[in-house]
Amino acid sequence: MVTGACRPRTQLAPLTRRRCLAGLAATSLGLRGDPAHAARPPRIACLEWTSAEMVVSLGIGPVAVADTKGYRDWVAGPALPAGCLDLGSRGEPNLELLLELKPDLITGAYGYGLDEAPFRRIAPLHTVPFYDGTEAPYRQAEIETLKLGSQLGREAEAQRLIQATATAIAQIREQFSQRAKQPLAVVSMFDDRHVRVYGKGSLFQDVLDRLSLTNAWTAPTDSWGFSMLGIEELVAIGEARVISLDPIPPHVKIRIDQSSLWANLPCIKAGNVRTIPPVWPFGGLAAAARFATFLAWA
Amino acid sequence: MTIMQSTAGHRARFKAGMLVALVGVPAVLAAYLTAAGLLHLLPAEMWWQSLAVTDFADPRQLLYRHAFLPRLAISLLAGAALGLTGTLLQQVLRNPLAEPTTVGTNAGATVGLTIATLYAPWILEQGREWVALAGGALSTLAVLALARGRSFSPVAIIMSGLVVSLTCSSASALLMAANREYSEELFIWQSGSLIQNGDAVVLGFAPWLAVAGIAAFLLLRPLRLLDLSDEGAESLGTKPVVMRLAGMTVAVALSSMVVAAVGVISFVALAAPALVRLAGARTLRQRMIWAPLAGATLLWLTDRLVQVLPFASEIPAGVATAFLGAPLLFLLLPKLRTSPDRGGTMLASVRRRSGWTCLLVGLVAMALLLCAALVVGRSATGWHVASAAELADLLPLRAPRIAIAACAGMMLGVVGTLMQRMTGNPMAAPEVLGISGGASLGILLLFIATSDVNRPAMIAAGLVGALVSLAMVSPTGPRQPLAPDRLLLSGVAVATMASAFSAVMLASGDPRLDTLIGWLSGSTYRATAADATIAAVTATALLAIVPLTSRWLEILPLGESASRGLGLGLFRVRVVLLVLISVPTTIATLVIGPLSFVGLMAPHLARMIGLQRALPQLFASAMLGGMMLVSADWAGRMLIFPWQIPAGLLAALVGGPYFMVLMWKGRQ
Repeated sequence: MVTGACRPRTQLAPLTRRRCLAGLAATSLGLRGDPAHAARPPRIACLEWTSAEMVVSLGIGPVAVADTKGYRDWVAGPALPAGCLDLGSRGEPNLELLLELKPDLITGAYGYGLDEAPFRRIAPLHTVPFYDGTEAPYRQAEIETLKLGSQLGREAEAQRLIQATATAIAQIREQFSQRAKQPLAVVSMFDDRHVRVYGKGSLFQDVLDRLSLTNAWTAPTDSWGFSMLGIEELVAIGEARVISLDPIPPHVKIRIDQSSLWANLPCIKAGNVRTIPPVWPFGGLAAAARFATFLAWA
Repeated sequence: MTIMQSTAGHRARFKAGMLVALVGVPAVLAAYLTAAGLLHLLPAEMWWQSLAVTDFADPRQLLYRHAFLPRLAISLLAGAALGLTGTLLQQVLRNPLAEPTTVGTNAGATVGLTIATLYAPWILEQGREWVALAGGALSTLAVLALARGRSFSPVAIIMSGLVVSLTCSSASALLMAANREYSEELFIWQSGSLIQNGDAVVLGFAPWLAVAGIAAFLLLRPLRLLDLSDEGAESLGTKPVVMRLAGMTVAVALSSMVVAAVGVISFVALAAPALVRLAGARTLRQRMIWAPLAGATLLWLTDRLVQVLPFASEIPAGVATAFLGAPLLFLLLPKLRTSPDRGGTMLASVRRRSGWTCLLVGLVAMALLLCAALVVGRSATGWHVASAAELADLLPLRAPRIAIAACAGMMLGVVGTLMQRMTGNPMAAPEVLGISGGASLGILLLFIATSDVNRPAMIAAGLVGALVSLAMVSPTGPRQPLAPDRLLLSGVAVATMASAFSAVMLASGDPRLDTLIGWLSGSTYRATAADATIAAVTATALLAIVPLTSRWLEILPLGESASRGLGLGLFRVRVVLLVLISVPTTIATLVIGPLSFVGLMAPHLARMIGLQRALPQLFASAMLGGMMLVSADWAGRMLIFPWQIPAGLLAALVGGPYFMVLMWKGRQ
């Protein structure tokens, strides 16, 4: 009942805000609303990877992104353009370089604890509020994609991205509906004694729900949608499939393989471990689509 | 006569009772929790059978044999090893603060493993032990080499240990900050988790503990002679230096193995021997038997407790020991008898210079440095000297950072001088007093409590933390109010708690950690004009007030009785100095983080230049501290542009080895 009552409001709000933002964007970016008429693509600098992923997904190559090497290893797709500059670490993006680059827009994400004022002095700042508890991550990714789209005058691209992601996930759900469905657990491994397992409140959970797949991990998670656990706790998931996210350091892999506990866990013994390429767990729609695609392959 | 004898006998029995209670009570509690946990896992009648023959098809038996029992075993073994290590080190160095952290072993093992993990992970394929051992041995060797000139005197070793540790840990922190996502493994390991993935670690560790234990007991007799003075021990036919080295070798090997097996477990090596001594174990033999037992039960109980706690994520035992150990130490502090070695100053200079010419030169140098830092920079295309027009844009970015570096450096320099003169201890520094640690704790708690971390909230939380720790650190006992040694020990307790807390935060994988990492490593990145103003006002006030204390500062290093004889009201003097120390330290910690190597180094550098008297030393320390942080901040912004190295880290990383060279040259 409550959600039903709230829904019209949440749908209305972005609409009005979008118009307002589109107007703002048109003035501040020197665009006329329609990107086709823009003299040049907007120059965007991204302070972290989630908003960078969204900007690239909307078809714009950012001029600079923080920690580009890390992006290539941990976010992987969509790829950054070749000439994209490194802004320094995500914790401390280089302000003097930003000042020199004079971007039209700076994008960041909520919750990194960066003070916004210095960035606002250089260029308009667009913040993506992720994991603030107001919406489930997937829904929030859709809302934020629309907002960013209107800010950049790319509403059409944003709509297309939302559609394409939804369609891709729906298609993969069809594929899965013909297979036997087994519960699965999504984990990242950073050392040989612990796993980070994703559950309620994570983007992966939302994608699993949309694929009508069951997450084998149902225990409580932290506000970012994961728990850090000792590997022995994986006994709780029985013979469920384990989806393990790359990258795993080679020496960690060796130690895991040597572990007498790991080898005898029911889920490992049943041979149900699959490793999939890197997916940024705190990403947006592109990360969701990547995850669904890799699941279909796994 | 008989009455006296019976009282003595009664007291001895009472002491033995205390020891048994110290080990027994936690052991019973831990055993109860263990049994409850086991029963939850597996029915009692299967315990023995599935130890002998494990049925892997049964998940319960698998967990019992390859997770539960190894974890139980490693908690006991690592705890015992730490208890033994602490006892050995404290005996060898004759210092109640000695533990693997203080002598640089842990930091060396950590930096070794950090480098291997990030740059040569193939080395780790054979296991971590040898890398940890190499790192721990190298750093401890460096400590010993630096202390050699003074026949490994306790103060010299602790001092060198501090310098080497700070250098090593800033190197690890820098490497981890530059490889943020790749350091997740290190963050987890660093937090001291006892979770096991089979019995390999236990089986690898047990022989080391056995060999070390045997070696320690073979060394028992000669080590006992170290209770005497070095001359006394020599007259009895032992070589104190050789005995120290032998004891150190055993301790270093053992603690490196603990670090390799489970990471850094804080406090056990410090607390177990201290508790045992307080409970009445006087002789070395008693301590070497009881401290490992106390360490084992302490870690066992802690690890059982963290498993009962209802959290979504694991609380590593290494962090929990700090939380249990630190308050315990606070409770016991009034009873702890410390025997400080007043070894005098480490780095006395033969030269004596007139202070005022030096200060003039210093002022000019500082002005030049400030201008250069403001104007010279790097851009996407290369080096760049800003024009007047560009400066208008760049000034709001550069000026607050430079101002904060300068002010924080000056405050830390002055505070370091105040502390070293007040305590008569050359290793005193703001960080050691626990003020920085308290401020860190406040800010870390804020990170846990709320998802919206902003600057004013951080300042408020840091201030509350600093004040609380100040209140805790200022002892109220009637006999020894504000005694310097007690202050230092309390400071160590707070600092350990803060660093354990930050370790668990770093291991949590929370994506907001970048802010925290930046602040912990002394970055000026988040400097605002408001911060700069606060820092400047505090620094100015401090420099204005501090000359009034110069008479006290000349007298205090002479010792307590001399000070009283010269008519100094010690309590009043210490309270005033404590305020003068804590307020600027809090502000400096807030703006530049808890890494305060400058507060340790600047006073020594000032003295080495030849400024021995209080007032010139104070001002020279201020300027040296300011210049150190300003140049570190500037270099940090230039070296790996567009990435930035935090000023505090760079100051420690460059200043540490420089300081080591000076110590090496200054050895007699």
